[in-house]
Amino acid sequence: MKIINLLSTAVLVTLLSLFGVAHAQKSGGTMVFLVQPEPPTMAGYVSTSGPIGLLAPKIYEGLFDYDTAGKMIPVLAESYEMSADGKTVTFKLRKGVSWHDGKPFTSADVQFSIMNVLKEVHPRGPNSFKEVSSIDTPDSHTAVFNLDNPAPYMMRAFSAYESPMVPKHHLEGQDLKGAKLGNNPVGTGPYKFVEWKKGQYIRLDKNEDYWGSDGPYLDKIVGRFVPDASTRTAAMENGEVLYAAYNAIPNIDAVRLKERDDIGVTTDGYSMINPMALIEFNTKEGPFVDAAVRRAISTAIDRQFMIDTIFFGYGKPATSALSSNFSATGLHAEMPNYPANGDIAAANKILDDAGYAKDGSGVRMKGTFDLIPYGEDWRRGGEYLKQVLGDIGIQVELRYEDVPTWLKRIYHNYDFEMNLNYFYQLSDPVLGVHRHYGTNMIRKGTHFVNSSRYSNPELDKLLRAGMTQPDATKRAAIYKDIQTILAEDMPVVNLFELEFLTVYNTKLKDAYGSAMGAYASFGNAWLDD
Amino acid sequence: MIDFWKRFSRNRSAVFGLAILLTVLFVASIASLIYPEDPFRLAGKPLSGPGLNGFLLGSDSLGRDVASGIAHGAKTSLLIGLIATLAAVFIGIIFGAFSGYYGGRIDDLLMRVTEIFQTIPSFVFAILLVAIMKPSIESIVIAITVVSWPGVARLVRAEFLSLKNREFVQACHTLGMSDLRIMLREILPNCLSPIIVIGSLMVATAILIESGLAFLGLGDPNIMSWGFQIGAGRTMLRSAWWVCTFPGIAILITVLAINLVGEGLNDALNPRLRERQ
Repeated sequence: MKIINLLSTAVLVTLLSLFGVAHAQKSGGTMVFLVQPEPPTMAGYVSTSGPIGLLAPKIYEGLFDYDTAGKMIPVLAESYEMSADGKTVTFKLRKGVSWHDGKPFTSADVQFSIMNVLKEVHPRGPNSFKEVSSIDTPDSHTAVFNLDNPAPYMMRAFSAYESPMVPKHHLEGQDLKGAKLGNNPVGTGPYKFVEWKKGQYIRLDKNEDYWGSDGPYLDKIVGRFVPDASTRTAAMENGEVLYAAYNAIPNIDAVRLKERDDIGVTTDGYSMINPMALIEFNTKEGPFVDAAVRRAISTAIDRQFMIDTIFFGYGKPATSALSSNFSATGLHAEMPNYPANGDIAAANKILDDAGYAKDGSGVRMKGTFDLIPYGEDWRRGGEYLKQVLGDIGIQVELRYEDVPTWLKRIYHNYDFEMNLNYFYQLSDPVLGVHRHYGTNMIRKGTHFVNSSRYSNPELDKLLRAGMTQPDATKRAAIYKDIQTILAEDMPVVNLFELEFLTVYNTKLKDAYGSAMGAYASFGNAWLDD
Repeated sequence: MIDFWKRFSRNRSAVFGLAILLTVLFVASIASLIYPEDPFRLAGKPLSGPGLNGFLLGSDSLGRDVASGIAHGAKTSLLIGLIATLAAVFIGIIFGAFSGYYGGRIDDLLMRVTEIFQTIPSFVFAILLVAIMKPSIESIVIAITVVSWPGVARLVRAEFLSLKNREFVQACHTLGMSDLRIMLREILPNCLSPIIVIGSLMVATAILIESGLAFLGLGDPNIMSWGFQIGAGRTMLRSAWWVCTFPGIAILITVLAINLVGEGLNDALNPRLRERQ
């Protein structure tokens, strides 16, 4: 039996942070931060949509969190033990934790959250907990995960954002996607849900009965929805809002605000997120069924231009289906068909060779291009891409809808041809990348999975192998094959790795400490006047 | 005609407005000649100031030519204004004519329907319609039409009410003319002048509504318009003022010109003002 005692690590981390902090935290105050756009619900157990991630992890908690070095920090679990064969993981749960409605948090909630919720309706849960066949609850504070195969990547998926623990007594026997809990969240976290003024804000108050001995310090936190980008910037400038993550402040303004003393700008806090801008194609119907067309599109795009003009230099051109951040684990391999500066001539040649002739006005084919409705930057991106596509004879109409309509169109009805989007590749390809490509990830109605409906048995086999292969070199070889297939078939064309910016007022202290960045809890955040 | 022009040109500002309007029309008609490229085309260095890098009025964040956008946008704005106004006038005349001419129950029914539309704030209603239908040039024209016809209907109804008992109309009745013929051939031509005046002013309103919608991100993303340009540039107003400013000026002077012309038409066509010197 290999025993990992996380308690000692926790003590160490606490001690280190005590030495690091020169002045004591102050209690009180209201912290207003930007949430862009307004989320459709707060059901983080159903959708991983960005704005939900900004709010739900303040209310719900996971079994663990991860510090910036990637170390596990105990949250609802105090420790875990893994058996020698890696097939049994026993979690000791924290005692004395209660839900916001007063009911105690027990191992039954853990069992229900993983088996009945995350494995069923969460976009990434079925992947993260694929090997978990059952969970035993010998007592109310012990949960034993029984695994079919070892799943080391699972241990990276216990954060509040990735795998929130939800109250069994609110969800049992209900339609999970439509349950009342979605709009009236009840969690165990440092902040309690108070009210949601549609179109304006969501207010969370300090959880007075929080189990943690230090924090939360803030009296309340308010997530405000401000649809207009310049209004958001103005709100940040005059101190009305103190925190804006995920590019809620456009890069052009962030670059300008950086010069001010009372405002900080950072790219930290996104290491577990690993976002990638991309285009999803409908591979079942419409004009982009042929892989050659998708390859031509990927070849034509000037990725560096998009980064420079739209994101003001924050970003990195994609070179394969995987983010270059996976180079650290040796999984990333550079592939052809992803030229950083675009090659219109080569793209035209691919289409000519594939037999798509231009008509009199230089058009080979027509299509509709949906744009992710997450703000101006993506719209500008769409406008640029429309031009490039025109250069290679693909005439597209842009379509820009509201978030619910767009999500429904792409992930419920598959009523699209190509879609500009971004996905989180997360800390491991198994968690963040498999879901775009696996046949088992064609899940109607689940957001941010394989909406291309791409299905390739050969790739499925490799994905399965990549999931369970413990040896790093062998795993790298598997992922090289995966990337080779995807560079050829391109159901999704990766554009560039996004570098998100967080803009914050320097009055706000200790908003970080978790690798989840803005998707963490604000549990230690405090205001210094 | 000469007589009309005399009366029109008595109003100096109307002539000035007409001159501007003709200039805008001229620019719109030759837009494809002076800027043959798609106005969405990336023409050079992004965010170049006016006069720099070969951009007369600067370039926007993607390197699109602002001047080209204004020229092509003029076409869009005027076209939307005209089509929406024509459609609104058409619907308004039908509603107004029938309810004014027949009165009674038909009048009640048609006017209650008109009131339903009049009670909803027009811009909010337009936003709602476009949001439901998804932003496209058709949905914008429909939205502007739907919010602007009730005014015309009211006006036409009032004119019909006052004209329908005049002697010349009664003479038509005794001659045995059909109702439709009386409405179209006899009454309508006599109330054309106020319709022309309100129509000209509606073009200006339509352009403003279109710009407002595009500014809020509800414009057709495939078509260049002034509102779109302002919407695309407003996030960088402080660092690249020219992206918003020039299209804004274009809207300002066009709407002003149309209003001046409308006023001039009113002066020239309104018989009660003819003697006013």
